[in-house]
Amino acid sequence: MISLRKVWTVAERDMRMFLQYKFLLIMRAIWFLAQIALFGLVVNKMVSQAVQQAVGGDYFNFYAAGIIITMLYSTAVFIGYDIYEEADHGVIEYLLSVPVSRKELVIGRSIGGGLRSFMYVSPMMLFVLYIIGISNPLQLVVAFASLFLFTFGIAGFSITLAVSIKSSDRFDISLGVIDALIVRLSTTLYPIAYMPSYYANIAKFNPLTFAADLFRWGAGIESAFLTPPAIAVLGIVSFFSLFTFLGIFLHERKIEGGGWQ
Amino acid sequence: MAPIIRIENLTKKFASLVAVDRLNLDIEDGEILGLLGPNGAGKTTILLLLTTVIKPTEGTAFIGSYDVTREPDKARTLVGICFQEPKLLWVSTPWDVLDWHAKVCGLSSEERKKRVRWALEELELWNERHKIIHTFSGGMRKRVEIAKVLIQRPKIAIIDEPTAQIDIVGKHRIWNMIRALRDEGSTILLATNELYEADMLSDRVAIMHRGKLLVCDEPKKLKDTILGGDVIEVILEKNVSQKSLEELKKINRVVDVLTTEPNHLKIYLNQAEEVLPQITEFFMKARMPIKSIHMSEPSLDDVFAHYTGLTIEEAQRK
Repeated sequence: MISLRKVWTVAERDMRMFLQYKFLLIMRAIWFLAQIALFGLVVNKMVSQAVQQAVGGDYFNFYAAGIIITMLYSTAVFIGYDIYEEADHGVIEYLLSVPVSRKELVIGRSIGGGLRSFMYVSPMMLFVLYIIGISNPLQLVVAFASLFLFTFGIAGFSITLAVSIKSSDRFDISLGVIDALIVRLSTTLYPIAYMPSYYANIAKFNPLTFAADLFRWGAGIESAFLTPPAIAVLGIVSFFSLFTFLGIFLHERKIEGGGWQ
Repeated sequence: MAPIIRIENLTKKFASLVAVDRLNLDIEDGEILGLLGPNGAGKTTILLLLTTVIKPTEGTAFIGSYDVTREPDKARTLVGICFQEPKLLWVSTPWDVLDWHAKVCGLSSEERKKRVRWALEELELWNERHKIIHTFSGGMRKRVEIAKVLIQRPKIAIIDEPTAQIDIVGKHRIWNMIRALRDEGSTILLATNELYEADMLSDRVAIMHRGKLLVCDEPKKLKDTILGGDVIEVILEKNVSQKSLEELKKINRVVDVLTTEPNHLKIYLNQAEEVLPQITEFFMKARMPIKSIHMSEPSLDDVFAHYTGLTIEEAQRK
């Protein structure tokens, strides 16, 4: 039986820990501003009228919504680095000794890792929504709920990766490569219609595509190139379920019993 | 009454290294049991097995009625551990660490604040409660680590090297707090390589060496098991020969002679006061000037030496 109180206590710890990384938080915020105020504005001027129309009338809005998803991804994935930091300081042993089941621990960490990412990105999200405007609040609520699950899934994915790769250097390098592929093989920065078909076929199943298109739909961006919302929600729920389950399974198999050593 | 911890044939192997070798031990409710042995004796591994942090290769242990291999989640509800090396992130503060620990152990908000404040004040960390641990000395970090178990007040408190890196005043304070914890109803399993600490705190001492339990009993009874209740330690100006050692053993009431250094002898004997003149005369006749001589009752180190042929210091070096 899983205790929600214990799950929340574990999640709360990860949220508090995140606030300690002030330098990271400031740098990520500067990165976001640079992407919006510099890159976004310049690229928007370079994009043809045809593309502007294809992505709902304004490429900048399309791009800004995508950048929010990359922010959610890059901050949710940070929980994996925490696991290595904890392994270095022996804190994993401590967490395994407290009166919390392994399932509660992994679910709590996925929720904490996701929720802290969502909370951190929220002001940026509101800023982007202010730029885009909100046309249908109900759609936005559905999108937000799905993005919650998306961040939990990303945190679960990061935990899965961290416990599967037993070297912080390899994890760091792997995450760099995954980051390059998962962002670029998605619709966060450009619409699927302009991708070569062999890339587009991969991008269709990318959780970042689901999340980005759902956020755009929630914000009222209308484009024929967006993933249908029902499919996007289903994709995110599947992604969340897969990596929460995998996280629990691998955590029990690899961490339990001293496997992190 | 059933023991609060029952260890049955517990074995832990790391590749070819047998860290804990078929350990059988019962720990009674409300006692302080000292696990004594040099580094590498398997003490910390036993503690990690009992807290379900690692799994045994063979055998098991029961914490209360819970089998650590089958019901680890339930077993952990009865246990709290103070690790040998403080398990703290450098960005954390003592307040955050202890408040979260109390919370995860199920303490109410009010009780949590009360106990965290009490522990921080008792361990002289109150003024540093909001400073990041990165700036702390080893002793301060250790105090934060031990505060966890003092706040939790678990049914079974497992404490690994409680006073490592802590100054002598702090040691006494922590020893008193451990005793108070026991008086409040906790059973304490204490791993240490400090003889005085084990002798002073423990109701029973289990002596470990190379993963095996050598003996377990009350400190006084352990010392009484040594043939020759007294010890004379002699440091000579030159090394002692094997022949002299054999002759020394022939002196009446001398039970055993152990050389800890080539010129450093430990003579185990009965009625040392009466034999001492004969021993000094022996060395004078053998033209081996005595640098120093010291007479004492046996310590737990002597008990360890009795069972292993090595002092704890020597075992540590090996």
